[in-house]
Amino acid sequence: MDEREIRLRTSRRRLFIKTAIGTGIGLSLISAFYVGASLRPRKEVTPEKEPLKAGDILVYAQGGGEPKPIRLEELKPGDPFVLAYPMDPKTKVVKSGEAKNTVLVARYSPEELSPEVAQHAVEGVVAYSAVCTHLGCIISQWVADKKAGLCPCHGGTFDLARGARVIAGPPPRPVPQLPLKAENEVLVAAGEFLGEVGVKAEAGGQCRV
Amino acid sequence: MYKWLDERLDLTSLYQKVLRKAFPVHHSFFLGEITLFAFVVLVLTGVFLTLNYEPSIREVRLPDGRTVPAAYASILYIDSLPFGAVIRSLHHWSAHAMIAAAFLHMLRILLTGAYKKPRELNYLVGLALLGLTVVTAFTGYALPYDNYAVTATRIGYGIAASIPWVGGTIAEVMFGGEFPGSERSIPRLFSLHVLWLPLLLMALIGLHLLIMFKQKHTQPRYAERVAPGKILGVPMYPQQMVMMGILFALYVGIMTMIAGAFLAHPVEAFGPPTPNTPAVKPDWYFLWLYGLLQIIPASWQFRLFGATIGPEFIGGVLIPGILGIVALLLPFVDTRRDKMRYMELPSEHPVRTSAILALLVFFLMSTLAGYKIDFQQQGSLLGNNAVLWTLVLGGPLLTFFLAYTLMRIFYGKKRAEKAL
Repeated sequence: MDEREIRLRTSRRRLFIKTAIGTGIGLSLISAFYVGASLRPRKEVTPEKEPLKAGDILVYAQGGGEPKPIRLEELKPGDPFVLAYPMDPKTKVVKSGEAKNTVLVARYSPEELSPEVAQHAVEGVVAYSAVCTHLGCIISQWVADKKAGLCPCHGGTFDLARGARVIAGPPPRPVPQLPLKAENEVLVAAGEFLGEVGVKAEAGGQCRV
Repeated sequence: MYKWLDERLDLTSLYQKVLRKAFPVHHSFFLGEITLFAFVVLVLTGVFLTLNYEPSIREVRLPDGRTVPAAYASILYIDSLPFGAVIRSLHHWSAHAMIAAAFLHMLRILLTGAYKKPRELNYLVGLALLGLTVVTAFTGYALPYDNYAVTATRIGYGIAASIPWVGGTIAEVMFGGEFPGSERSIPRLFSLHVLWLPLLLMALIGLHLLIMFKQKHTQPRYAERVAPGKILGVPMYPQQMVMMGILFALYVGIMTMIAGAFLAHPVEAFGPPTPNTPAVKPDWYFLWLYGLLQIIPASWQFRLFGATIGPEFIGGVLIPGILGIVALLLPFVDTRRDKMRYMELPSEHPVRTSAILALLVFFLMSTLAGYKIDFQQQGSLLGNNAVLWTLVLGGPLLTFFLAYTLMRIFYGKKRAEKAL
């Protein structure tokens, strides 16, 4: 190292330039983080994406056409479950825009149900969230010999008569039950889901900017 | 004419520097080229698709009165164009071909020890390329927005969301909000699939080729016998160019024939998204992961610093992550300095070769586990978790020891003779 270089290294001009460049890069990075946070989109709640609420009428999710409320006498014990969406009783908006609102409804003979399930059931009709707790697919197949619901994605099987206990496959926990009541023979949600719906997303929604 | 250009662009020195580059002739050296050709075809067909595709899930009315998402409708439109369905199929099958060729290319590198010093860097770039290719393929899954595509992408969302601590954020950034449901999902996946990931791929492919040019190819074994210490091969121009041209024409020809004969992903058959989950199976390159997800039981779950480590994280992220890290570290662990310039014979490295064979058996067995539900429905013994676990773990172990012993018996003697 010759004398000139030593002088350069200790000069205040160098220090000034380095500090200026460093501050510039630092500030740009901080502002980039602020802009980058918008990569996570804002959640916009439109009427058909409202969460399920107590009092919502359950309507058939499939079949198309006008929303058709599910009537008690249309369900028979032992029949495959049906998929349903909640409908706002006042505005008549079907809340199908949010996958987590998908409900499955099955009917058993009342004596088949375990007591803790029966207290939220109506005449043997039980309802659960249809969103599999494993990876969020919709439980859409009926296993007739076990009277259970099957998620075709990875084979998670839920015993719907006993609190949706996982009897086969990888789901980490049962799907939450939905308390039911009947109003004029039509199925209505008596409350919200009795637990967390769908895949447990880690820290989801907590560090939102 | 040539003279005019040469005076201005100095073509002669370009010819001497670049176009005279020696390409070793060996059939396994074409795997990388096939990967590149598949990428070129993907870009060209992709341009056509982009021009006709609408990245939106707004509801549109079809002529027959159904209302379907716009993305779905635009796929029907593409299929109705002259050769539209063929070009879309060509895009689909080329993605398969690219992943397959890239994987085989990697196997060749692994089996011949071509990842060793001084080629560690290019090996890492190659691994990144393979990973990016698979991610790019996955971001294209959702775009047709039929029932099958939505279900498959939903699983991907679930896997991303299962990452401890940061999963929710990662999933929402990658999928543009919650999938399915958010209107921003398809535009986000679309821009990743057609712009950012391909740009990144192009940059890395350029780097991959540049490093290869600078370091020169590894040499096939015959080069050592023919001209020890010299670089052997045909020049890039004209010989290699002709071979590449023929291979490219063959690739396009064969793939177009396949695309013409087999329509890929028939969206009409799956229909627009409904709450009814179709029986989905992912493409073959994800089937092993899908299999692992099926046989990992619900009980593999524990809490760590406030986050839940669940079976979907273990199967979907942790196991492939560990495999990836092992692959990344390989050139820094295997630092024996024999034959750096020449391809190594797999038979002379029984441990490495057996380990690679075991890895292949692991992939095959976990792919088999992907058919668990089907086996169960047939009442087959393979529907049993314990049987599948035995195959997934026992198969590779058995393969390793069997391959190692056999190679020792057959090649050990030969090597002993050579030493004398």
